[in-house]
Amino acid sequence: MRKSSSFFSNVSGVIAIILMGFPVYWMITTSFKPKSDILSTNPSLIPHSFSLSNYTQAVTKEGFIQALLNSLIVVFFTVVISMFVALFASIAVARMKFRGKQIYIASILIVQMLPLSALLIPLYLLLSKLQLTDKLGGVVLTYIAFVLPFVIWTLRGFLINIPVELEEAGLVDGCTRPQVYRKILFPLMAPGLVATSVFAFIQAWNEFLLAYILLSSQDKATMPIWLAGFTNRFGTDWGPLMAASTLTALPVVIFFSLIQNKIATGVTAGAVKG
Amino acid sequence: MRNRRKKSPWPYLLISPSLLALGLILCYPIYKLITLSFEKYGLSEIIAGKGTFVGLQNFTDTFTDPEFWTILERTLFFTGGMVLVSVVVGAWLAHLMLNMSPILRNILNGVLILVWAMPQLVSISVWRWMFSFNFSIVTAVINSLGFEMDNHNYFVNTFSGFLIIGGCVAWGALPFITISIYAALTQVPKELLEAAEIDGANSRQVFRTIIFPILLPVYIIIISLSVIWDFQVFSHIWIFLDSRPSAEYYTMAIYAFQKSFGLSEYGMGAAISLIMILTLITITGYYLRQMMKMGSE
Repeated sequence: MRKSSSFFSNVSGVIAIILMGFPVYWMITTSFKPKSDILSTNPSLIPHSFSLSNYTQAVTKEGFIQALLNSLIVVFFTVVISMFVALFASIAVARMKFRGKQIYIASILIVQMLPLSALLIPLYLLLSKLQLTDKLGGVVLTYIAFVLPFVIWTLRGFLINIPVELEEAGLVDGCTRPQVYRKILFPLMAPGLVATSVFAFIQAWNEFLLAYILLSSQDKATMPIWLAGFTNRFGTDWGPLMAASTLTALPVVIFFSLIQNKIATGVTAGAVKG
Repeated sequence: MRNRRKKSPWPYLLISPSLLALGLILCYPIYKLITLSFEKYGLSEIIAGKGTFVGLQNFTDTFTDPEFWTILERTLFFTGGMVLVSVVVGAWLAHLMLNMSPILRNILNGVLILVWAMPQLVSISVWRWMFSFNFSIVTAVINSLGFEMDNHNYFVNTFSGFLIIGGCVAWGALPFITISIYAALTQVPKELLEAAEIDGANSRQVFRTIIFPILLPVYIIIISLSVIWDFQVFSHIWIFLDSRPSAEYYTMAIYAFQKSFGLSEYGMGAAISLIMILTLITITGYYLRQMMKMGSE
């Protein structure tokens, strides 16, 4: 049925690779071009000269260190707290029976679909009432809530695939329940925990809209906000912006390539096995 | 064993932190959104910390505003276009990947992951740069093909403007769509396909009776998620148009944002947001039911 690769598929594949990859290629090549090559009305597809001036300009631009620091703080707390909270919840959902479980699962799935832009207004009003606007803590709180449904749901998927018999065997052999979790369940869940925490990392690192609404002062800016600051009323500094974009994307690309298999199958696996 | 634990407080203790976070950040705002939409809530109400109940005023104001209907229609067209293009192209790419030489498939997979990993603000910045006014590579390529259009501003014309914004959104969404469908395609059991072939089924029959039923749930999820994501696109439009989009670029999300954070009419903004959510629920109702079924397993 599926014989060797077809000519048509290969040609289309090459075209798809070029079209999909071009923006990334253009970002990276632009970031290494000297200013004279960037501000040319006749840009060339292949870079002729190489320069790091965009990177030095981006890194020395006001607020870079602060934004990097803020993003790291936000990411760290979002990941750590949401992983703990989600781990507890997923154990309950995957391993225990309790009244209201179906409602809990259903509400997690529904909440996951809420359009963020529609919730901006009440969220903003709520956090300003709690005095959490323009504070990194407020952003962390919202990020935790927004990654939780996916993380719980995905961890549940990983947990369900671990046979209960292993835990039961541990219990029979005289382990206490916490011991069973620590010695049997968590090691087996490690890949799932890594994958979902990287997912939370990426979400918190990339998020723009909530940070844009909630954080107003410059010294609270996260990396995406800092990126948006390259455009002001005098125009956009394209070269340094491309260098900054490359730097911002780099950690995500590295982490993403590590976990993408697990996430892609995690999202759809349940549906296929339905 | 399970029965014995039924009355245990453990499950509730374990889910309570997540309930707290979700309740505070997601459920309470929903409730607040609903009550706000029936209130006049402007600057003076913010200071007082309390809105004035105005009944259905916000909704009648919105529905009698001709601009609202234009914006709703525009949003639906924009969403429909992006979902259609990204799902069709994604499905097509996924099927191509099955028949590609392994080297090409791996390269394409790598490129897709690279694109998938791009932070939203990064991809918007790059696309803005590709279509910038003075030094656009796209303009240069078009010119090199023999057309004359130096210093073209793509955003004067809303059609080309939305085309570019939609292109950027679809570009960002394609990796998830393609890789998910490809993953599902590779899970179609080979034995079934072989059995069908032995039984003399042609490729269309194979697709209709074996591949399609297996892929259907994946398509439902992907289409519904795409609708939800594309309907609420905000940052793309906002950043592409320098944080001050003109009225022709208003979509529902921008409209609600402007009403509330621009004009400080939070009640009106809430009403529009609520209409957004209800529209989405209507469109994706099927997906919701499907997910509920999965959850109750």
